[in-house]
Amino acid sequence: MIPASTVPRLIGSVAYSPNVVTVWEGMRAYFTGTDTPIDFVLFSNYGRLVDALIGGTVDLAWNTNLAYVRTLLQTKGACRALASRDTDVVFQSVFVSRAGTGFDGLEAVRGRRLALGSRDSAQAAILPLQYLHEAGIGDDDVTLMRIDSDVGKHGDTGRSELDALRAVLDDRADAAAIGVNTWQAITRGEIMTGAIESFWMSPEYSHCTFTALPALSTEWAEAWLADLFAMDWENPDHRAILELEGLRRWVPPNLDGYGSLIAAVAEQGIPDRW
Amino acid sequence: MVNHGLVLDLIDRLGRIPAGSTVTLDVMSGTADAGEIADNIDMIATWCRASGNALVESRHDAVVVRHGRSPDTLAGLHPDQVPGTRLWMYTNFDCNLHCDYCCVSSSPQADRRALGADRVARLAEEAEPAGVRQLILTGGEPFLLPDIDELVASCTAHLPTTLLTNGMLFRGARLERLRRMDRERLTLQISLDSATPEQHDAHRGPHSWERAVAGIGLALDEGFDVKVAATLPAEQTHEVAPFKAFLGTLGIRPENQVIRAVAHQGAAHDGIELTVESLIPEVTITADGVWWHPVSATDASQFVRREIFPLADAIADVRRRFVRHREAADRAADWFPCS
Ligand code: SF4
Repeated sequence: MIPASTVPRLIGSVAYSPNVVTVWEGMRAYFTGTDTPIDFVLFSNYGRLVDALIGGTVDLAWNTNLAYVRTLLQTKGACRALASRDTDVVFQSVFVSRAGTGFDGLEAVRGRRLALGSRDSAQAAILPLQYLHEAGIGDDDVTLMRIDSDVGKHGDTGRSELDALRAVLDDRADAAAIGVNTWQAITRGEIMTGAIESFWMSPEYSHCTFTALPALSTEWAEAWLADLFAMDWENPDHRAILELEGLRRWVPPNLDGYGSLIAAVAEQGIPDRW
Repeated sequence: MVNHGLVLDLIDRLGRIPAGSTVTLDVMSGTADAGEIADNIDMIATWCRASGNALVESRHDAVVVRHGRSPDTLAGLHPDQVPGTRLWMYTNFDCNLHCDYCCVSSSPQADRRALGADRVARLAEEAEPAGVRQLILTGGEPFLLPDIDELVASCTAHLPTTLLTNGMLFRGARLERLRRMDRERLTLQISLDSATPEQHDAHRGPHSWERAVAGIGLALDEGFDVKVAATLPAEQTHEVAPFKAFLGTLGIRPENQVIRAVAHQGAAHDGIELTVESLIPEVTITADGVWWHPVSATDASQFVRREIFPLADAIADVRRRFVRHREAADRAADWFPCS
């Protein structure tokens, strides 16, 4: 008989980039050397992934914040967030405009054209609208330009955000809401100075997290987390995986950071499945 | 005006390809203005540097960007091949011989262009901290120098050293200089091209074979570790068994028998073509500065820089250029063995 601990647990992830296979092959290789081996399966969208987790097809799901909130709602709070990337616990949305156009805060968006990313992107659509609502700016107070590319992947590809930025550069929109990861990507080397500038940064919130149901034993989860947190940026083998997945280290999730999205999903009547 | 949308296009396209793959991005984007195109390329280069992606090629109308960092070129080399593992020093360029294939055109008429005792001493001192593990002194014929024993002593005081010579001048004061050298730390590398005089003498001059063989014997008798290096036309480098057997009878251990092909450099009319793109560098110092490789230490296209010191900077410069060439060429270099 095979000891229970050596049977690989199955992690589900969405294939949001061509590097996903490399990342998960690397993760599988790393965990093969531990007492908590894993295998993985890729889905084409987060709706399917959440279904597979709830249906017991996978033991763990590498969820976006929206997929986690979905799982939370569908399991009536029974699911658990286990770990996130260091970059996930300090995520932000960024409002940007062409440089020198005088936008100085959310209020400046009133009456203007705002480009949003995919409608299932927490960072580039759902939360930006939520922040506008909280500032007293309703959907009718701005001209929304929704760029719904890659729906189902919760904005992971970043494509809709790049399209929103193009709309600003091409003067088809006055402002755009994007994730801080896209903002950091396009401003590397300060090349956007004089072209695009940010005029409002949201409070920090939480993004992706490994999500499990109670069926996954706490004992196994604790052992697996200890192995996960032991991945080391200074180790070149680990680093290759961490770099591709966009983190320096794995950290415990920040559950408070999901509050704003839980509120937004409720208020905006976001459907249960996308 | 620079087109910032290009960076958005680039990020988008990089996101669609696996790490390690490349995209070719049109940087003209509807403009024919050379200044604007150059600005676009600058912007892409800046972004690549800051974002950890590699700009592997930049043409007049397009750039090629690799998703992610380029593989570590230096880490991919055998440790012995990492540029700067060995440091070559041309002590002088004059020579008692006038070989027809000499890669630096040495001859009795050639200017000495001596590196000098002070520079050799400083190089030897800076070498080990800069990561060098072996020093190699070459020429011209180093034994023409009145202070060759001093140069060798300042090298062997720091690192194992190899001295390249034609082995023909071990007499009188020059023999005394040889005898003063450190047998523990010095290897003599003597040139000999064939098992019989004809071929050697045809390229290196009458009676040179006989005197070289005598020099090899003398150096061995004096207790030195002796390597023998043969320079052969490329087509002959495959038929070396008789020659190797001959070297064995002289007492040269198999690992001390070096066979190399004639390079198309200096006085040689033909030979293997060596370019910075195809040649893993061997950091080489002459009185004029730093060169890519000892076989091309008079070829202006392989001059690296005038400043020799600090040596660590010179080595870093050679490595940087090598990585750049490798990335651009992305093809295996032919390794031209030199010692
Ligand atoms: S090959 Fe060597 S021995 Fe011949 S001329 Fe050149 S330096 Fe002198």
